[in-house]
Amino acid sequence: MRMKKPGVVIAAAALMTLAACGGGGGGSSSTPNSNGKIEGGNAGSFKDPNAKAPAPVPSNAAQGGTFTVLTNQVPSTLDPTQAYYVDSTAILSDLVLRSLTQYSYNEKTNDMQLIPDMATDLGRPSSDNKSWTFTLRSGLKYEDGTPVTAKDIAYAVKRSFAIKELPDGPTYQTTFFLDGDKYKGPFKDGNNYAGVVTKGNDVTIKMRRPFTDMDYYASFPAFTAIPQSKDNPQTYGKHPVATGPYKFADYKPGSELKLVKNDQWDPNTDPGRIQAVDGWDFKFGQDTAKLENIIINDQGSAQTTLTYDNVSASSYRQIASDKARLVTGTSPCTYMWFIDMTKITDLKVRQALGWAYPYQAAWKAGGEIQGVTRVPGTAILPPGTAGRVDYQALPGQDGSKTDPAKSKELLKAAGYKPGQYEIKFLFATDDDLSVQAKDQIVKGLTAGGFKATPIASTSETIRTDRTDPKSPINVRSSGWCSDWPTGGSWFPAQWSGDLVGVEGMPNPSNFKEKDMDAEQNRILDTLSPEKAAPAWGQFDKTMETKYYPAVNTGYSGTAMIHGSKVGGMANDNVRGMPTFARMYITK
Amino acid sequence: MGISPAELSETDIHEDPNTPVKAAVAGRSPTQIALSRLRADKIAVVCLVVVVIYVLIAIFAPLLTDLFGVQLHQGDPVKDLDATNFPLYGPPDHGFTWKAPLGIAPNTGNDNLADWLYGARTSLIVATISTAASTLIGVVVGLIAGFSTGWVDRLINFIVDVFLSLPFILVALAVAPIIVIRFGQSPGKLVFWQFTALLLVLSLLTWMTLARLVRGEVLSLREREFVQAARVIGVPTRRILFKELLPNLLAPIIVSISLGLPAFVTAEAGLAYLGIGVVGVPSWGQTINRAVTFFDSYPLYLYAPVFGVLILVMALNLLGDAVRDAFDPKTRR
Repeated sequence: MRMKKPGVVIAAAALMTLAACGGGGGGSSSTPNSNGKIEGGNAGSFKDPNAKAPAPVPSNAAQGGTFTVLTNQVPSTLDPTQAYYVDSTAILSDLVLRSLTQYSYNEKTNDMQLIPDMATDLGRPSSDNKSWTFTLRSGLKYEDGTPVTAKDIAYAVKRSFAIKELPDGPTYQTTFFLDGDKYKGPFKDGNNYAGVVTKGNDVTIKMRRPFTDMDYYASFPAFTAIPQSKDNPQTYGKHPVATGPYKFADYKPGSELKLVKNDQWDPNTDPGRIQAVDGWDFKFGQDTAKLENIIINDQGSAQTTLTYDNVSASSYRQIASDKARLVTGTSPCTYMWFIDMTKITDLKVRQALGWAYPYQAAWKAGGEIQGVTRVPGTAILPPGTAGRVDYQALPGQDGSKTDPAKSKELLKAAGYKPGQYEIKFLFATDDDLSVQAKDQIVKGLTAGGFKATPIASTSETIRTDRTDPKSPINVRSSGWCSDWPTGGSWFPAQWSGDLVGVEGMPNPSNFKEKDMDAEQNRILDTLSPEKAAPAWGQFDKTMETKYYPAVNTGYSGTAMIHGSKVGGMANDNVRGMPTFARMYITK
Repeated sequence: MGISPAELSETDIHEDPNTPVKAAVAGRSPTQIALSRLRADKIAVVCLVVVVIYVLIAIFAPLLTDLFGVQLHQGDPVKDLDATNFPLYGPPDHGFTWKAPLGIAPNTGNDNLADWLYGARTSLIVATISTAASTLIGVVVGLIAGFSTGWVDRLINFIVDVFLSLPFILVALAVAPIIVIRFGQSPGKLVFWQFTALLLVLSLLTWMTLARLVRGEVLSLREREFVQAARVIGVPTRRILFKELLPNLLAPIIVSISLGLPAFVTAEAGLAYLGIGVVGVPSWGQTINRAVTFFDSYPLYLYAPVFGVLILVMALNLLGDAVRDAFDPKTRR
């Protein structure tokens, strides 16, 4: 019995997945190497407001059976308001809790599309994008037969402001919704919130600044229906009231989640989900070697078993030949080495880091498979984001080249002797892969003329150490995942000057430049969605080329294995998780 | 009148050549008896040779790595590994090569033979120092506890009980992050203190069994006549403890050492497997930890350190058995 990290166990590959969701696909199924630009014209294909219910059930789908999902990871919460990590949101959104809108897998384009869920369409914004109206479908019921009303949606919106009682969820509502900076949720400030109004089946949400992406945001579990009478913030996450095809049968936080069919779900109201299997059995915190072996050997119940962890290098070659049981794809996440702009103030030194970082060596030593679980790149926005521009911030650097000579040259031009400039970074001593990657990084930085000082931490504490303002580190290894497929979910959340000094360090580079902040405000407040997407792409290029505040250490890829009787498992490239909503056992 | 003995000539006294002559009695100490028995025991000799080989490997690890032309922790993942992070030369895909006699590790490209040789060194250092410290503490405490009366005995018993109640694995798990927080900022100090912490945890949580054993033996021995006699004569307590009692306690002490050495080797490997061993210093336990996921795709990577541990522990155990048997006067061979 191996207990690699006491307590919460999170796979190394997914360790840096900070935020959930986002990122509509780019039409690429395996290695998303984008040569040339991906223009904003793709944005239209991400949405389908006219998707019709019921969702198609494939002819080779058997009815019944149970899926077993084994994973090394443990979801931190299953409360809809707090769910932000991709594993929690995928499990809740695909199977248990319906929201106003949803993402649905489109087989023809191997892509996720935004379609209506409990709403009749994708929302109707006012002309200035400061007010959005959604109409609830009729005939929606909870797992106990009671009807879903617009007031329940309104209550869920109010509940999302209770950040003190229900922390860690998405916080765009505080930035964009009316009174978002004043209203503190129904438990503190009562039910009087001016930002959401219900009339019959209509829910209208009012903004205090233009918010063009509300239709995307409405797909989060936070916008499900929550009956206020059944709500208790401490315990709701143990059994949220289901509106989707499955409901909680038993949940042991940290170890197991059992889902069974919800007979009150009507397929004629849901254009995105099917209800083929009888139930789901999620087992968390499993040993990686063991679960990979079970699935690869495909004996007995392993044929209906799957995982959403990335396959490890040792098992990848065994399964790579059996392509039918390996699902690969992209997930809209970029890993970065955020360079602290308040500590490393010389642009030349930052650029030297971009040449000295040992991309390939660090990936391999960390157990990543280049091209499968990590894809090199230079733009901050990952492939598949609407309006993305592909560029090279450092001429000749494609995201995988290490050139110690160029790094030394830049350091010399900045006035530093080899071995003089000290880079301090964190690693986890109890995570073997982290230690191995650290050794390669030290070698690479030293060859590039830096002095590398790794600072030890543990898997438990590395996230708090990273965001500790008193820590001596001057680079932070972290990342970001799109919350939805436009730059609007990237730059305001991590690169805004207002976020410097905020608790939890949401701006890991401490990036604060007047011209960039002004540009962000211009895009947010004055541009329409069609013009905003390519503007964010240009923003990406300008920021990296002019200031180079972060080293792009690769986009994430997914490589998930499953048993031979698992059908309908594709890569949900909005989250990098399996398309739970459309899975079935084959006949 | 008879002949006086002085007048008897020597040539008149002759012995029968067939009379059996008593051989000269050569006095042998118990240690010499034991050693000669050991020499006669074939298994013991083989095990001793194996252990000596391991000790030599541990001492001369740097020389041996140079001899084989390999280096420690010098793998280059970009040059030595293919797209799936498996080695480009040597096992498992390519045949045997002298460039890497035991192959190179996946993900990092580090040489396995160098890791093995230095891992032997780590295991033996940890085992030797921990056993020595643990035995020393246990014997001293046991002797004092057994021989003293009154409040000293009670105090020592209490201390032994406190230490016995500390759960070994939990203490090891608890100490590891504390060391990281305290020394995380300087990599050199961190490795030294992790190593020291491991040794301290291993020695301080295992001396109690021997202390109890020794105390029991001393209690039964101290009422014997030879001890009483020594006390009556006025021999100082220290002399009684170390010159009179200790030789009689050799058997349980040797058993404890012979059980302890392999147990510590296994413990170090197990702790590294749990993620709380020494980091940055090669060890068999860490290699086993990494190699478990490759057991079917790259078996040699796992079996090299496993056999390293297995053979060393078996040799130590069998040797300890034989030594115990040899030193016990009551066993007939």
